[in-house]
Amino acid sequence: MKSIKFIGIIILAISFFSCSDLLDKEPISSFSADGFYKTTSDAQAGVYGIYDAAQSVFRTNFAYWGEGRADNVQTAQSGEGLQLLQNNLDESIASAYWGALYDMINRANYAIKYIPGIYEEGDAAGTQLVGEARALRALAYFYLVRIWGDVPLITEPYLSIEQDIFVTRTDKETVLDYIEEDLTYAAQNCRDKFGNDRDRIMFTKGSVNALLTHVYMWRHKYDEAITSSGLVLNNNLYSLVTTMDDWGKIFTNSYSKESIFEVAYNEKETNSLRVLYAIGSYAIFTPSEKFKSSYEEDDKRIDYVYDVTLTDPKAIWKYLGKGLSDEDPTPSKQNIVLFRLADIMLLRAEALNKKGGTQNQSEALGLLNSIRARAGLPAFATVAAAAAMYGDLESAILHERSIELCFEGHRWFDLVRTGRAISTMNPINGLSNERNLVWPISINSLRKNPNLEQNEYYN
Amino acid sequence: MMTLRKYGLFLASLLLFLYISTANIYSNVDNSLYWKVEINQQKIIVSGTVADQAGQPIPGATIVEGGTTNGVVTDADGKFTISVQENGAKLEFSFLGYTPYEHTVIGPQRNLMITLTEEVSKLDELVVIGYGSMKKRDISGSIATISNESLENTPVKNVMSALQGRASGVQVVSNSGAPGDGISVTVRGQSTLNSGNEPLYVVDGVPVESNSLSQLNGYESHGLNPLADINPQDIESIEILKDGSSTAIYGSRGANGVVLITTKRGREGKPQINVNLYTGVSNITRKLSVLNATQWREIIIDTYKNLDAYNNTVNPSEPHWTAIDSLNPMNSGDVDWQDVMYRTAYQKQANISIIGGNQAARYSLSSSFLDQDGIILNSNYKRITSRLNTDFKITNKVNVGYSVSYMYGKNNRINAGGTGNNSLVQSILVRPPVYSLTYPDGSPIYYFNGKRNPVGLAIEATHLNTTNRIIGNQYVEWEILKDLRFKTNISLDFITMKEDEFYPTTVDYRAGWNSGAVRATHNLTWANENYLTYTKTFNKKHNFSLLGGFSQQEWKTETTGLNGQFFASDNIRTLNGAGTISGQNVNTTVEHSLMSVFGRVGYDYLGKYLVQATMRADGSSRFGKEKKWGSFPSASIAWRFSDETFFNSLNALEDGKLRFSVGQTGNESISNYVSQGEFSLNANYLDYSGAAPTAMPNYNLSWETTTQYNTGIDLSLFNGRIYLTADAYQKNTTDLLFNVPIPETTGFSSISQNIGEIQNKGLEFALTTHNLIGNFKWITNFNIGMNRNKIVSLPENILTNGYLQNGTYHILKVGESIGTFYGWKFLGVYSRDEDNINQVKYGSANGKVFRGGDPIWDDLNGDHIIDDQDKQIIGNAQPKFTGGLNNDFSYKNFSLNIFLQFSYGNDIYSNLNMMRNWVFAYNNVSTDALNRWRKQGDVTDFPRPIRNDPLRNEYLRVSDRWIEDGSYMRLKNVSLAYDLPRRLANRIFLEGLQLYVTGENLITWTHYTAYDPEVSSYSGLQIGVDDGSYPQSRTFIFGLNIKF
Repeated sequence: MKSIKFIGIIILAISFFSCSDLLDKEPISSFSADGFYKTTSDAQAGVYGIYDAAQSVFRTNFAYWGEGRADNVQTAQSGEGLQLLQNNLDESIASAYWGALYDMINRANYAIKYIPGIYEEGDAAGTQLVGEARALRALAYFYLVRIWGDVPLITEPYLSIEQDIFVTRTDKETVLDYIEEDLTYAAQNCRDKFGNDRDRIMFTKGSVNALLTHVYMWRHKYDEAITSSGLVLNNNLYSLVTTMDDWGKIFTNSYSKESIFEVAYNEKETNSLRVLYAIGSYAIFTPSEKFKSSYEEDDKRIDYVYDVTLTDPKAIWKYLGKGLSDEDPTPSKQNIVLFRLADIMLLRAEALNKKGGTQNQSEALGLLNSIRARAGLPAFATVAAAAAMYGDLESAILHERSIELCFEGHRWFDLVRTGRAISTMNPINGLSNERNLVWPISINSLRKNPNLEQNEYYN
Repeated sequence: MMTLRKYGLFLASLLLFLYISTANIYSNVDNSLYWKVEINQQKIIVSGTVADQAGQPIPGATIVEGGTTNGVVTDADGKFTISVQENGAKLEFSFLGYTPYEHTVIGPQRNLMITLTEEVSKLDELVVIGYGSMKKRDISGSIATISNESLENTPVKNVMSALQGRASGVQVVSNSGAPGDGISVTVRGQSTLNSGNEPLYVVDGVPVESNSLSQLNGYESHGLNPLADINPQDIESIEILKDGSSTAIYGSRGANGVVLITTKRGREGKPQINVNLYTGVSNITRKLSVLNATQWREIIIDTYKNLDAYNNTVNPSEPHWTAIDSLNPMNSGDVDWQDVMYRTAYQKQANISIIGGNQAARYSLSSSFLDQDGIILNSNYKRITSRLNTDFKITNKVNVGYSVSYMYGKNNRINAGGTGNNSLVQSILVRPPVYSLTYPDGSPIYYFNGKRNPVGLAIEATHLNTTNRIIGNQYVEWEILKDLRFKTNISLDFITMKEDEFYPTTVDYRAGWNSGAVRATHNLTWANENYLTYTKTFNKKHNFSLLGGFSQQEWKTETTGLNGQFFASDNIRTLNGAGTISGQNVNTTVEHSLMSVFGRVGYDYLGKYLVQATMRADGSSRFGKEKKWGSFPSASIAWRFSDETFFNSLNALEDGKLRFSVGQTGNESISNYVSQGEFSLNANYLDYSGAAPTAMPNYNLSWETTTQYNTGIDLSLFNGRIYLTADAYQKNTTDLLFNVPIPETTGFSSISQNIGEIQNKGLEFALTTHNLIGNFKWITNFNIGMNRNKIVSLPENILTNGYLQNGTYHILKVGESIGTFYGWKFLGVYSRDEDNINQVKYGSANGKVFRGGDPIWDDLNGDHIIDDQDKQIIGNAQPKFTGGLNNDFSYKNFSLNIFLQFSYGNDIYSNLNMMRNWVFAYNNVSTDALNRWRKQGDVTDFPRPIRNDPLRNEYLRVSDRWIEDGSYMRLKNVSLAYDLPRRLANRIFLEGLQLYVTGENLITWTHYTAYDPEVSSYSGLQIGVDDGSYPQSRTFIFGLNIKF
């Protein structure tokens, strides 16, 4: 009897404890690779995840890429900032590593592949998200081709090690075509607006058109640039701020009505603006002598850019705010403005000027003057007046970009795009070779992928 | 000392209470039991004394009437009285460690004197193996046993350090000398690249968690020691399973060896109450040289002069601040910061245990309290443990038992190791000697001239670690038929660890900054094991044993935590006081499970030819859906040649056995979900919650498999006076789990794959000799293990220039071993500028030329450029052999133990010495710098100190200048004990009283020049690096062992 009782107890105990699915453990605090992209909230979270990658991309590098090799900045530091300024780039500098951009692309590739499966065919909510994902992928590729030239073009997510992971570089024009394709889709499918702060920090039709304008200008497609910039200028989400205080707040407070697309940060998700521009004697970049002598007298913007009372300013105030103290413990939380209305207006002016013709030129001059007027500078009455001061209208517009958009990460790309990089930088750092305009590919990338070839200049 | 006295009083009263109450209980129970026996039987009464060869009475010896359950035990004087039914009854006398004796009753007898002879040979001792036990004689694998005797009278605080030097082939390295800190145990070499390398620990049949749960390690890369939770005094024996046939029964967790820990269980007999109290004092084993204030000022001026000379500066530059101004009150000191930071530390432990039982119920309970100060200011470890082990015979055929242990640990840690500004050991050695401790107004200086005050950090910062752990285990054992037994057990292991970290404003360089963090981790493991055993002997010749069973285990770990900044006050250090909760808020849960089926078949013919085979199949949730299950077979044979007739003539040979085994084991120590790939949360864009792919799945991810061959011989000579075990083994590990770097264009940086192969082979010897027996006893144990580790293959695509960088100092390369150091070779110092005949340059063809006073780096490829191409293998952290030598002497009431432990042939990369000899900024350096290059023509091996070294001779330059021979021999333990004669003890109402003094780490013979050659700044694969971890200490303890 007793034995039977014991057998009973034991069998009960064992059957209670043994469950056949004991070995099937799904992650609890994260998703497995095939456990995600099941619901609409997954789709939304996946797209936010791409923006999260963009935060990493631009955190520091927006300045290294866009300003570090150009004429507006100088450095008292010995690190990467100096290497870039002296045109002494090598395979081991951090800004030569494209890992964060491809992380952004891979996240976008996942979203683009899986989101359509979640929504009904033609559901706008789905196509809007795919539109954002494609715009973000295009943004990443646009930086890639501008910095490295030919780059691997990857358009499918990596799901398994069986896929081709040792990729080769694709011709940059093919990549740019692909960027245009993505952006054309995004310009049709993104939201018109969110109706809140997200209008400035996520892709809408307007910000997609702003990015498209940059792409067309890079490719010297002026007609297309005029069309896309027109869509931006006519978009009532955007208008120029009028006062100089508001101009300052575009950068210090973010989410300005002039802003078109910003990469957002906050107290917890901080960026490197402080280290780059404003940590006293330790700042990586400060305004160059050339910049300090290049602006016109009475330019009201400069007070917001650095401490003009100092001959050797130790900080750039533009983002962290006027009169910033070293001791101030506030974190580096300002958004990094990638595109804003003044930027697109000046690009449009450039395109119109390139197209030529009186009507185009006068519209270009009008756009330029509206930016100058806000800064308290006199309007150029004629194209000739502008030319008298800066050589030609294009130079006047580019000069205006250099002051208006100073330290915002545009300068180097403007110089390269307009073919002025060598003439501008040669006196400063001896830049003399067209093939030197791209960055080297990081040694870390080359080591891991034997199929990658280094950019010729750096071989 | 006041508190110790308090504890003593408390314990004494507690003991008294327990003594009285248990004695009463005992007498009630037992008297009635024996009473019953007596009244029913016609009786022949036999009484007498049981004593050992020296005539000392043996209390607690068992006397059983053969073939019955009638039995008694001897009292404190070795006396007994037993009644038997009839003449001719056989009385069996036995006592642990003594040869049993049989006495035939020939009538009532008084004053019967029975002398038991001490057993020298240990061949009949039971050795614990996986899911059972076996006579040592019948073992066909390779198993090392450590008995509790070697743990007695040592200040060993945890199981792992108890293993050090005690078993051949088991390498034990303390990560640091900090109380309660981690210890690395490696059995027969490293057999993995980056998954876990620690053996599996099994306590009383329950696999226990041995990974550190610590989330906030500060600047140190090693965690806390979870096995510090087991009180060494509770341990009966430790077995280390080393070869494939012994470990294969643990399948996927056996590849790194298995450590079986058996705790003390109850015994039939009167309650034995034991109290052990000790108190100890520790000091640092040695101090390192630093420059005094005058010497330091000179070298700082030299750094400027040398830079000026290098730059051909016309106007000499002045050192900043007023650092070299000896009259400045901030810089007028002359301090060796070691004197300020290290202290004489005290420790004390109290332990009480009660063991006893009768036929129906046996118990063993114990509690302990430890309070140990570290030798660095403000470091302290407190531990309370409590354990109850019970066994009940509830019917003739069913036994049940229940064990529970509880532990509370509170570790007030110090951020000693590591390389950061917060790492105290380095900080105190490089801190300028001139700095004042206080401002002129008397307030302490915390942050000054870019340096945190290490004393301030030690005192002001919080690194508190609080652990609670409960392990419970219950079993039912049922004898279904004769020879067929079934056992099932269920166990729980629950650990919670809370960590608090706080840096007050006083130690931060930013005004008003303070920061804190908290982590709470819970780990719950349950396991259930069920197995049948069957043993049968046919024709008295053929012995069969069978084992079959299955088990399941599940782990769940939850971590919760927050980081905060800008606390309103430095005095409120909990996170509710934080002004800002930063992004590091953590709350995660992970799970892991394992299911297994296992079996063992053993057969022997007359104990002469022994064959055994085992099989285990393990399924783990960690592996790819295609590869969840793995099977791990093993087989062994042994031949007892001493039983062959042709050896009979060899009288000296008591026993001789040859063993061969082969077995496969696995390693599943990877993180829980890697095979499934991962989309992690927290990829947020501001407050918009995002998710992102962070790991690529690998559905084919599978076990690391180790195939081990072992052959060995056991010899017992001269009736066990000499016992020798020798083993040779080869372990091949394939399908290593490795995070293979992949091109980042995939969006991922690496993927877990099974790659490559590692081999370990070696020899092990263990020799026990009873040099003297009788009144003056001398027993020697010697063991030595030689392991050779080799990386056999690595896939091409993960290599760069033919190797894989492994942390900062090591590489992994085919044909070399794990622990290979890689860097530049230092050939001396250029005496003059002209000595650099080839104009060797730094970095590139346009680089700077080395001059007089610069180091001569070996230009390996002869291109006159010192760059990455000139790096070479500069050392190896693998010891050629390790081992220990233990000597036990005893004479009458005195016993002396001398234990030496050694490691030979291992190199140390002394990053600490690099820091101590690099004149960086205003850092202080060692007195080696007095021998520095000062001017053209100086011949020395200490390069010129130069500010902001233009040639970066030290900065990030891994070089053999810092490689030192790490061989050492250590007088690890010397212990002298005196047992009060029993008569005397009885007079003060005690069963026994022992007094002992022990010295630990008394002498270390080594060529190593920093604190201690036993270094392990990084756990796992990056062995032999000294970053300046918490130094080892020399400890003296004085203790009392009281038996009631």
